[in-house]
Amino acid sequence: MDFEGYEWVFWEGTTVTILVGLVSLPIALVLGLFGAWAKLGGGPIIRALAGAYTTAVRGIPELVLILLIYYGLTIIIQDAVSALTGSDEPVDLPRFATGTMTLGVIYGAFATEVFRGAYLAVDRGQIEAARAYGMNRVLAFRRVVLPQMWRFALPGLGNLWLVLLKATALVSVIQLPELIRMTQIAVGATREPFTFYFAASLIYLAITAASLLAIRSAEKHADRGVARRL
Amino acid sequence: MSFLKTAVMTAAAALIATTALAEDKREVRIGTEGAYPPFNYYDQDGNLVGFDIDIANALCEAANFECTFVVQDWDGIIPGLQANKYDAIIASMSITPARAEVVDFTKKYYNTPGRFIVLSGDTFDLTPGSGLAGKRVGVQGATTHENFVRATWPEAEVVTYGTQDEANADLASARVDLVMADSVVLLEGFLKTEDGECCEFYGDSYNTPEFHGEGAGIAIRKGEPELVEAFNTAIETIRADGTYAKINEKYFDFDVYGAN
Repeated sequence: MDFEGYEWVFWEGTTVTILVGLVSLPIALVLGLFGAWAKLGGGPIIRALAGAYTTAVRGIPELVLILLIYYGLTIIIQDAVSALTGSDEPVDLPRFATGTMTLGVIYGAFATEVFRGAYLAVDRGQIEAARAYGMNRVLAFRRVVLPQMWRFALPGLGNLWLVLLKATALVSVIQLPELIRMTQIAVGATREPFTFYFAASLIYLAITAASLLAIRSAEKHADRGVARRL
Repeated sequence: MSFLKTAVMTAAAALIATTALAEDKREVRIGTEGAYPPFNYYDQDGNLVGFDIDIANALCEAANFECTFVVQDWDGIIPGLQANKYDAIIASMSITPARAEVVDFTKKYYNTPGRFIVLSGDTFDLTPGSGLAGKRVGVQGATTHENFVRATWPEAEVVTYGTQDEANADLASARVDLVMADSVVLLEGFLKTEDGECCEFYGDSYNTPEFHGEGAGIAIRKGEPELVEAFNTAIETIRADGTYAKINEKYFDFDVYGAN
């Protein structure tokens, strides 16, 4: 394929796409664990808050959320600063942090449900046995529940990662030049949409293939105790 | 209260991106799209180039501004201005009443008409109102051309696209019957290229002020009349001293400024 000297859009775009994805994922996982804990073990207020979080975030389109947070929040902060100090200095939220935080918050809501399902799938008897051995709740969670939760969570989390990877294209609206945006820039200049979009989709496919290998090996690792016994 | 105030100010101070102001030159950040040749796009080496960029640089020089460019996806270009990511949009943005409600505009810095392109040889009834009944017309969404087509040919089936290239590609493969867009964009971006050999201009040039507005202007946040004024003066300056004509000539073999 002839990229007419625009190969560089792929390197730059792919780097941003992978970085945004890799930074958003841990945020989503941590939020997901907290969310699942809140929904399963929290009091009525915490449960209601967690319910509001997953409902609102999963209900509002990602693009709208990103625009609301990046631009809406900036305008609110700007107005507050101007009102308090009378200065018109431009306030700027860091784009990368805002983009990854927003994606993390969005996919944290999906991860909440993945973790909640995984926790429920762990045999109750396992937890009771752990407690009977004298482990406290934290130790029982760390040693007994979490390793087994991973087994049930990994297929859902792998799925989440692949969806998240493609959702990184949304951060282009906040000036983060990820793969799709960079591809559009090259298409704009060369008027060769087919060539560039085709190449971009191959790159997404390559990242997906690599991810699948990693997910499979993680699943194998999580299944090690079970596989032996079968 | 005073704690709150301190906390907010500290947080704000941490968020302030550009504080350094040159002594006499005002620092102005220009927002542009970077995917709209020949007006603003990237060349092979990754440099931002085009008519808008040259005009912006000329205006900044005339107004004695220190200008930097911020490249922003079109969908977020007005929110970005309102959220203070940059101070002016120079991105071939048409001056429209709807946009003028949320941003202020300078005078136009160019004005080119909208035109249809069709597969070569095709003919259509373009009578406003009843014409184009059932015909599929491709336009870039959220543009003046979309609004104009919808209002002028209500019987037409309007198909909207994220970018002009997608609309052009669908015309080439006959998924739409006509495409309406800016004449220069169609000529430079499509008809002159290999992909555009299928197609040709059809019908008149359209320049209805209520839809196409006065042309492309520079968008400025509301409440900054002195910046609007500075750009207006700069436009007059480069029109008068021949800079504009030089830039015009570099990109087009016809006058893109339109009527005075």
